[in-house]
Amino acid sequence: MNSIAEHIADFLKEYSPFDHLTIQELSEIAVNIRVVNLQKHKALFQINDLVHDSFYVVASGVIDLSIIADAEETILNKCHVGALFGLRPFFAKNNYRMTAKAREESIVYAIPIAVFRPFLANNAEVLNFLLENFANNTPNSKDSENLRGNIISDSVFYTDQQSEMQFFQSLSYNTNPLITNAGSIVKDVAQLMAETRFNSTIVCENNIPLGIVTDTDMSSKIATGRFPVTVSVDKIMSKPVITVLENVSLAEAQLLMLKNNVTHLCVTIDGTDTTEVKGVISEHDLIIAQASNPGVLIKEIKRSQSASELKQIRVRLTNLVQTSIQKNIPLTHISNITSEINFAILKRAIELSILDLGSPPARFAWLSIGSQGRKEQLLLTDQDSILVFEDVADEKYRDVKDYFLTLGKRTTLTLEKVGYELCPNGHMASNMIWCKSLTDWIKQYDSWMKAPGEKNNNVSSIFFDYELIFGDQKLEDAISTVVFKNVKNNTLFFDYLGNDALRKHSPLTFFKNFNVEEEGLYKNMFDIKTRAIMPLVDGARLFTLYFDLKGINNTYVRFKQLTISDPKHSEIYLNCAEAFLTLSKFRTLEGLKNENSGQYINLEELSKIDKEKLKNALLPMKELEELIKSKFQLTQFS
Amino acid sequence: MLDWLKHINKEFPEFWKNYLSKFDKKSKRFVILSTQNSGLNFSKDVIYSIGAFAILDDSILIGDSFETVLLQYKFLHDNKLSNTFIIESKMKKLGEPDAIVELVEFIGNAILVGHHIDDHVEMINAALERMNCGRLKNEALDIDIMHRKLHDITDKKFSLDELSEIYKIPKSERISASEDAYKASLLFLKLKSRLGIN
Repeated sequence: MNSIAEHIADFLKEYSPFDHLTIQELSEIAVNIRVVNLQKHKALFQINDLVHDSFYVVASGVIDLSIIADAEETILNKCHVGALFGLRPFFAKNNYRMTAKAREESIVYAIPIAVFRPFLANNAEVLNFLLENFANNTPNSKDSENLRGNIISDSVFYTDQQSEMQFFQSLSYNTNPLITNAGSIVKDVAQLMAETRFNSTIVCENNIPLGIVTDTDMSSKIATGRFPVTVSVDKIMSKPVITVLENVSLAEAQLLMLKNNVTHLCVTIDGTDTTEVKGVISEHDLIIAQASNPGVLIKEIKRSQSASELKQIRVRLTNLVQTSIQKNIPLTHISNITSEINFAILKRAIELSILDLGSPPARFAWLSIGSQGRKEQLLLTDQDSILVFEDVADEKYRDVKDYFLTLGKRTTLTLEKVGYELCPNGHMASNMIWCKSLTDWIKQYDSWMKAPGEKNNNVSSIFFDYELIFGDQKLEDAISTVVFKNVKNNTLFFDYLGNDALRKHSPLTFFKNFNVEEEGLYKNMFDIKTRAIMPLVDGARLFTLYFDLKGINNTYVRFKQLTISDPKHSEIYLNCAEAFLTLSKFRTLEGLKNENSGQYINLEELSKIDKEKLKNALLPMKELEELIKSKFQLTQFS
Repeated sequence: MLDWLKHINKEFPEFWKNYLSKFDKKSKRFVILSTQNSGLNFSKDVIYSIGAFAILDDSILIGDSFETVLLQYKFLHDNKLSNTFIIESKMKKLGEPDAIVELVEFIGNAILVGHHIDDHVEMINAALERMNCGRLKNEALDIDIMHRKLHDITDKKFSLDELSEIYKIPKSERISASEDAYKASLLFLKLKSRLGIN
């Protein structure tokens, strides 16, 4: 026994779950500990690393647990002195689902699992603590109250975006359960359950849950003859009921059922069994909830055979977006998932058309443009797309073009049935102007960029936000090359785009009031799309082209990337990025409320705080405008 | 300088031969060593206690450690010093030769690290000489020198406490060779990462 191990044992004794162990046991553990020093920002383990043979306790310093999605680090938890983390290897063999990184210079104790496991088996309290840590339990469950201090969730559910959703995803459950009192006769209860087709009844006294009777109880205790059907229900009920809070997540509910080996959870007001019953969650509810999980949606999209099936899925996606927004999931994540699913739907629509028409006579690329191309489409908006096909011999050209036009028409019609409106400006692959060969497209981009604004050459800037949906990557690359070649020293083009970006009407009046629509259908409403969001989108596009940033389409990511490429003005870009998110959120909420594209915000329905928030989000735009003015000579087209 | 001449015809003890044979391979293991001595006169003073930890892959292995109080009753008696600390200590106690044998076995071919490591190594060498052995052959790193190198300081030495202060190592009330070795281990890990040594 060495004296340092003794110190470490003394240290551990202060913290849960080690306080349940004796000092001898702790010393035994301490002897096997490894002490690791982590420099500031040094990672201990990263997402997808193989699990270590140990878990960790912070001895000094702070460790951040985070996930990284789209170049963005989201911190899930900060572990302070005495906190446990990296419990994954206890329960699962797969790789780490998060990154542990030192926020400041830190020392951590690595405790080998093999050494610790025997103590788990002999000590239920320790096991429970770890399970709770691992599952990030409800704040109100009684036995964890005294441990609140250093519960560090090992929130493994964050992982990739899909299971992350699962963690946030709320459950819809039966809020009107069967309730009976302890004196009821089993036969009556069974009769009631049979009539209502519920498989559980909660036994209550003054709406406070005492126990629960499920199908299982009926079959195991009545049908086996252990009790007669005339006995009172409290004889056969299962108790205590496992209770949860109202807004329990899918993942939590799953874990609680597994942990307690039950099939039903009872929802109460504060999550304890001393308050009123609000509902009951059954295993069946979990299965249903999983059906609107993004992963499942994508799978179903791949299997669907018709526009109406796709439409069903799109409706579920809208629900998913709605619940996610209400749950305050970062908007960037929601739009990532939504755009993945949108792309999957588009892709499937194209596939369905190809199945009908036969295989294409030449290679082609279907590109989404505009908001879809920027991955910012949270709501059902109109479809914008173009089609590029490879150059073919002159005599074949007509047939090939015919084929792709038909393909475009079929696909856009399918998508219309799914719920994506046709583009009012005709920016679609079904339009013969936007369905052409690579050479023609290169010519088109050349003329747009070399002589913008001339004659009928009014370029719509949405053509510079494109994303491949289906087909050959090489064709998309060819277009990118042309665009970025033409961008070099092309002051005229930037002049044009800059003016285009500034042409939008300012969102606030001279007196700092909102500039609302003066007439028409949307009188007195605020046009958030054209007055607030578009200028940011245009600005972001202008600067990414200027700084030669290829392959980034999303406005938020563009601004983020610009802070790196142009550090001198990073603050402006950061403000714009945040403002963009806020504005998009306003728009999405409005859209969900009215089931439209959310372009017009009804200011009267906004609270005072929300109005201020909205106003504040409009401020960075001014700075961006100034930056555009100083960076580009906007003389030709003003 | 002419050490090898002195030893040329001498038969070394078994443990020493064994020790020498370990140097065929290079080691990845570091041993952080600290001793407590009666003073720094290598011929007259003695080691009271030894503490050492192993570092492998940038982590301190608490189990892979060495901790011993040396039974220096004769020295204490000769110098009329109190021997209560030996009696009161709960650590493992060994006579000097046994302790040195175990220590040499523990060290093996690892790279030695310590605060003013040369002093500790010299004390051990003196003890080894009394046992008719040669000198330790291990490479040695001094954390004070590492610190000075990091900051390009040439005109000043730093005590272990000063270094602990600079690198914010928690202080402990207890004073022992192990305690010092543990502090030195943490300092070594911090300096190692800062200097980018692998």
